[in-house]
Amino acid sequence: MAATPGPAEANDMYFEDFRVGQSFQSPPHEVTEGALLQFAEVSGDKAPIHVDADYAAGTQFGQRLVHGPYGLARFFGALHDLHIVDSTVIGLLDTNWRYLKPVFVGDTLIFDITITRCRRTSARDRGVINRHVLLKRDDGTVVQEGTTAFMVQARTSADPSSDPSALDFCGPGWTKDLAARLGQDEEFVAATRSFDGTIGLQAGTVPTSLRIYKGAILEAAPKALLGPTFTVQASELVWAQLMTGPRNDFIPRTLRGEFSLTGSGYDYLRLTKALMRIWETAREMAGAPV
Amino acid sequence: MIESQYVDLGGSLAYVEAAGEGPAVLCIHTAGQSGVQWRHTLTGLAALGYRVIVPDLPGHGRSEPAVGGPVRDLGRYAEWCIDLIDELGLDRPYVMGCSIGGKISLDIATRISDRLSGVVAMAAEVNAPKPGGAAALDRGMEDASSPSRTDRTYYGTLAVCGRTVPAERVEMIAAMHRREDPIITTSDLIGWFSHDIRAGLANITCPTYLVVGDDDFWLDLDQVAWTGSQIQGARTLVLEGIGHYPMEEVDDFASVADGWLRTLAEDAARAR
Repeated sequence: MAATPGPAEANDMYFEDFRVGQSFQSPPHEVTEGALLQFAEVSGDKAPIHVDADYAAGTQFGQRLVHGPYGLARFFGALHDLHIVDSTVIGLLDTNWRYLKPVFVGDTLIFDITITRCRRTSARDRGVINRHVLLKRDDGTVVQEGTTAFMVQARTSADPSSDPSALDFCGPGWTKDLAARLGQDEEFVAATRSFDGTIGLQAGTVPTSLRIYKGAILEAAPKALLGPTFTVQASELVWAQLMTGPRNDFIPRTLRGEFSLTGSGYDYLRLTKALMRIWETAREMAGAPV
Repeated sequence: MIESQYVDLGGSLAYVEAAGEGPAVLCIHTAGQSGVQWRHTLTGLAALGYRVIVPDLPGHGRSEPAVGGPVRDLGRYAEWCIDLIDELGLDRPYVMGCSIGGKISLDIATRISDRLSGVVAMAAEVNAPKPGGAAALDRGMEDASSPSRTDRTYYGTLAVCGRTVPAERVEMIAAMHRREDPIITTSDLIGWFSHDIRAGLANITCPTYLVVGDDDFWLDLDQVAWTGSQIQGARTLVLEGIGHYPMEEVDDFASVADGWLRTLAEDAARAR
């Protein structure tokens, strides 16, 4: 009943082996007609757009559509093919998936997987790894995209607060370190000297806030009593890229709509320089070039 | 030596610098900026045997504001440049511009191609107007709704310089760009978003170079390519690792520009 031992096991990754920004690419996978029909059988979704070629020829697509969830299912196949957690995986925790473009028989699919968060659980001997997944055709077009978390064994049992926090964006350790550095940063202090409010930051679903009065950070915590004056939010993937990329490219990312803003747009603009100091400081923490 | 003069154009004084002897090259600056962007090109191209003319557009640099207030129509800048060409008696000049200056250069070419030796339009494409962008900019004309404007110009400029440009040069470009009048810049940008010369591109008969940096996130490279496809014989060049301001970013830009102008001259000779 034990997992078959084999050379693959030597490659298995434990919680401590994952790092935010790490990426994996699957080998290409060609979608065959046989796979489409088998998937229809297994899922029971035998809608004519999937299985009836004559019918599909008359639709806007002109051919049969591969089931959307086939792409998602193949992600787990691609992951298996990488043989990186065969013996260490504990379980799948969640999947948030978007179907952006149709997939057809004959398409060659590739998965780009980026690690976006690594957090040890309170059980200490295991951790949760978040992944951002892009499903692309071999011409680079993104056809499906999503995030999915899984639980993996840790090598050693340890207090979660002793794990590195420099890439745990908006987490408690990260926030504490950021606030300590910003408090010593003359430019940040000067840029917030006329500000009485709270800067909210959010990476994926993890929020944090910096309560500021006349250049002093009064509190750094997930929540402020009155809520943030404004909150700047982006996916964990965007945070990982901004914090580990070759340069601080916050501005082009805002132009591409990768960041969203809630709360006072006026105060957000007013604190442009303070925000730039936050990104630069967080990049320093992450070890990126500044 | 750099010669400078004030020229009366349409009832307001235009500040114009010139240097060198040879084929004339009119250089047009970007939104909100001034002829100072061409300071190295001015002397560099002059040394290579050109008569280089660098005006400050009305309301910019040392030129007086345009009569009637800030200009929101790049077509008016194009007319203004043609008036300047006439006033200075420039004979078959090249016109080189960047960003709105690039669009203005193309606009000039749609009107008087037969009187130009060629056009170099950098960081410019021709597109359908984007009224949504212009509406947001209209709000930004009020200081009260546009906080930290200079910081945003500064950081925006830092970000849109190319990855190959040394940090000290990028810092210099951004520091100089923040010396702008937001009302003038915003009007220029409204002009950028609302200008539509798609129908005129077929009128461009002089040799044309479209130049764009691949780090210029303000521009859509496909749209630049499309613009090139609409102009007879146009050349399109992508500069690797350069952003929105080639004349300020590229090492020894004057020599590079000289190469482009020579290519345009050869194109013209072949066409004859």
